Amino acid sequence: MITGQGITKTFRQRGGVLGGREVRALRGVDVAIARGGAVSFIGESGCGKTTLGRILAGLESHDSGEITIDGVSMASLRPRARRPYFRRIQLIHQDPYSALNPTRTVHQALTAPLALRARQTGRPKGWIDERAAELLGLVGLDPGYALPRYPHQLSGGMRQRVVIARALTVDPEVLVADEAVSMIDVSLRLGILALLRDLRERLGVSVLFITHDVATARYIGGDGELYVIYRGQVVERGPVETIISAPVHPYTQALLSAIPVLHGLEVPGGQAVTPVGALEEDKHDAGCLFARRCPFATGRCTAEVPVLGRTGDIPQEHACLHPERRGVVAMPAGRA
Amino acid sequence: MSSAILETGGTTAAMRRDFWRGVWRVMRRKPSRLAGAVILLGFAFMGVFGPMFHPEPLPRDPDEIYAPMSAEHWFGTDGQGRDVLAQVVTGSRYVLLSALVTAVITVVLGTAIGLFSGFKRGRWDTVLMRLTDMKLTIPGLPLLLVLSTVWSFGSAVEMGLVLGLLGWGTVARAVRAQTLSLRERGFIEAVRGLGLPTTHIVGRELLPSMAPYIAMSMLITVTGAVYAQVGLFFLGVLPYEADNWGVMLNLSVFGGGALTTTAALPYMLAPLLAILLLTLGIVLVVDAMDEIFNPRLREE
Amino acid sequence: MPATPSAIPGGKTASGERTAPGVRIGGLTVVYRTPAGELPAVSGVDLDLPPGTITGVVGESGSGKSTLALSLLNAVQPPGRISAGSVEIDGLGDVVALRGEDLRRARGRHVGYVFQAAQNSLNPLKTVGRQLLDLGRSHGVGDLRALVREAGDLLGRMGLDGARVLDSYQHELSGGMRQRVGIMFALVLNAHLVVLDEPTTALDMITQATILRIIREVHEERGLTTLVITHDLGVVAEVADRLAVMYGGRLVEQGPTRQVLGDPRHPYTRGLIQAIPRLVGDIGEARALPGRPPTLATIPARGCVFRERCPLRMDVCESEHPPAVAHGARLVSCHAVEAVTAGARKEQA
Repeated sequence: MITGQGITKTFRQRGGVLGGREVRALRGVDVAIARGGAVSFIGESGCGKTTLGRILAGLESHDSGEITIDGVSMASLRPRARRPYFRRIQLIHQDPYSALNPTRTVHQALTAPLALRARQTGRPKGWIDERAAELLGLVGLDPGYALPRYPHQLSGGMRQRVVIARALTVDPEVLVADEAVSMIDVSLRLGILALLRDLRERLGVSVLFITHDVATARYIGGDGELYVIYRGQVVERGPVETIISAPVHPYTQALLSAIPVLHGLEVPGGQAVTPVGALEEDKHDAGCLFARRCPFATGRCTAEVPVLGRTGDIPQEHACLHPERRGVVAMPAGRA
Repeated sequence: MSSAILETGGTTAAMRRDFWRGVWRVMRRKPSRLAGAVILLGFAFMGVFGPMFHPEPLPRDPDEIYAPMSAEHWFGTDGQGRDVLAQVVTGSRYVLLSALVTAVITVVLGTAIGLFSGFKRGRWDTVLMRLTDMKLTIPGLPLLLVLSTVWSFGSAVEMGLVLGLLGWGTVARAVRAQTLSLRERGFIEAVRGLGLPTTHIVGRELLPSMAPYIAMSMLITVTGAVYAQVGLFFLGVLPYEADNWGVMLNLSVFGGGALTTTAALPYMLAPLLAILLLTLGIVLVVDAMDEIFNPRLREE
Repeated sequence: MPATPSAIPGGKTASGERTAPGVRIGGLTVVYRTPAGELPAVSGVDLDLPPGTITGVVGESGSGKSTLALSLLNAVQPPGRISAGSVEIDGLGDVVALRGEDLRRARGRHVGYVFQAAQNSLNPLKTVGRQLLDLGRSHGVGDLRALVREAGDLLGRMGLDGARVLDSYQHELSGGMRQRVGIMFALVLNAHLVVLDEPTTALDMITQATILRIIREVHEERGLTTLVITHDLGVVAEVADRLAVMYGGRLVEQGPTRQVLGDPRHPYTRGLIQAIPRLVGDIGEARALPGRPPTLATIPARGCVFRERCPLRMDVCESEHPPAVAHGARLVSCHAVEAVTAGARKEQA
């Protein structure tokens, strides 16, 4: 179980047309990932979802807030003592091309962490090669084929499987998949997504899935929780299917509206929400952070700060002063 | 084919065999590379075994002073009637050995300091890079001239040591820059996240990625070191203790007047040709380094 | 925003007004020289771009779609070369036959190209405005002021502050902004045939939707013929009137977008559609395609290029390349589809 409470992070940047001397990447986010569960972060690029994932994986520092792993507060530990905890959370990089060292074979990539593991747990040397082959089998690769190869000899999909196998060498509790399929051929994407789903079932690892595509989040963690993040804040949170079928925050609705409609196969939802302007131009901090881009904003929205919580009969948590269900999701052509 | 890979795959011996096979493939790709390798092997042979074929000291023939090129004396003789080619051969050991020592020290020191600096960053980086900058600003030749007044450079190792200690700055800077860019790559972050120790990250992940650069600097340092010491001996700031290509150049120009008369010309040309040939060999081989150390290029 | 005819000479008619050109690609084959001999990246592609339409070409890496796009400009770089076929563009003739200065002038003036990863194709050391002036000068534009005004208008049309963007360096612009700058560069010389290679890759969904909307609107307002190259069926579904699916250097299916998506015939098209996770319906219905896309070296020289991954594979697929057969407004290249249609016809008879 991993929890984060009130996590904030501010990046300091050099100037430019986009202005921003300071970028508030996270503004106090609470997050919890249960063992074996699935959590998905969605939002535009630059919304802070990747930063949050990296902080939870121990790859980035945060300014304030607390992270606990299996009940242990990370703030109470010295940096060196945190490492074994953060090792339970492994990041799957977006780019399988840079995530593997081009000068090392798959065998080398897998056996280095396994050898360390064998030394720590007193396992025999033979276990290392056995386990490497076993892990490759688990991620759907033929060990005989993959082990002696260099990364450049493998396709993007195969590389991503090797990256996943390498993450599994340390028996992680959580896999953080940051846009893990965006650089992979379309026909192979679903295979990787299916693998992550499968690993959840077979190994009981949790998956934290970071994406801008809600549909892929639904595929991996349809039974899990969805966090919709805008400018470093969670604006809607709840079960994936609930939010997809009845989103109430206009930002969530904008994200869902942006998913291309497969005309001929589907018909548009009819109430598509298009945000005004672009994320990088939105600099106002007063009131609701989305108010300046929201087509439904009222005077109240720029003055009052909405708090994430439940209102009325809406099952999911949201941070909108005027929550309203809108039909934004495309429907199958036959059913319409 | 795939079963063969299965059997050989993984073991270090097999990987080493594959590596050398790859090296052979890369070298064969261009005849110029093979030519370069042959030249370098020739020089190595000359440096190691050459002096054994010649008596020490070389025989003098007072009747044949500044003899022209002939079947007996390919590059003629010098002012004391000694065979020029024999001098090039016997002198090569000092030149090549000291250049090799220089290259090893330069690369080892430069790589170690650059890696450490780039990987640790922070305070250590600042201190080491200030030191490097300071060293880079000291002009090499005047310092060598000063050093030569207190040091005789009688042995090749001493010479190499001094040149090496003076030369690591540029390599350190470049290795640091590469380390800084490599450590941002996903694979370094990944192995850190897996808890692998720093020795593994530096030795197994970073170093191999920089191998082509390191090998190239090593080869190029060899030529630099040859120029430097030949230059020193040519200027005559060092005592003529050893047979040396630089000494030959000095004697041919200042003693034999090679620049004004033709008699001593072969005496001057022989060491110059040797230096040229060595440089050529190195340049031709350097061309292959990128492909040798990159598994993808090695194979194609 | 109508173009300013006086500023941009070289139009097709005396008034300077130009209409959307039609494009006919016939038997196009592009080969790359490799140590294993010349291998085809694109083989025997027949594709018509009717004037004023948006055509989408969908394919994975190694399908030859980017090579196809470059062929429209006769810009395939060595070791590649166009070895057969023609690309006829109205008002320009066969591009494959163009050489030297004629070709250079045609690029930009007749054919606007938005490069793959346009986000990174700007010169980082020059402002957008300076690059625009460079472009104008290299094409001999007399009135540079009008060119800048036109660029500003185009950027404004796409929701950007034109003056500010022209004064910016690449690093000062976001991915979505750079993409729009790329589109501006493709259109500013008044080209009426526009090729967009992966216009939304690496953009998030909202930015993608914005860019796609802009592409569609600009296409209509300026009267363009547009070709969109992408790996994403969703992108094509949003913008394209016609859709062509490419695999292993060949077009396997083409036709009106709605028809192809609503009732895909080729097993590859079907597989691609099935592999997209959807927002509604049973998520378990999404199926991955087995195998992996071929590379230049592994594209089969004989027979059907898709057979390795095909669920409908037959013996004939090994030896004979399936010809493109018309099914209404659609062309499909598949032996299995033909066998089924032939069977149905026999039953009816």
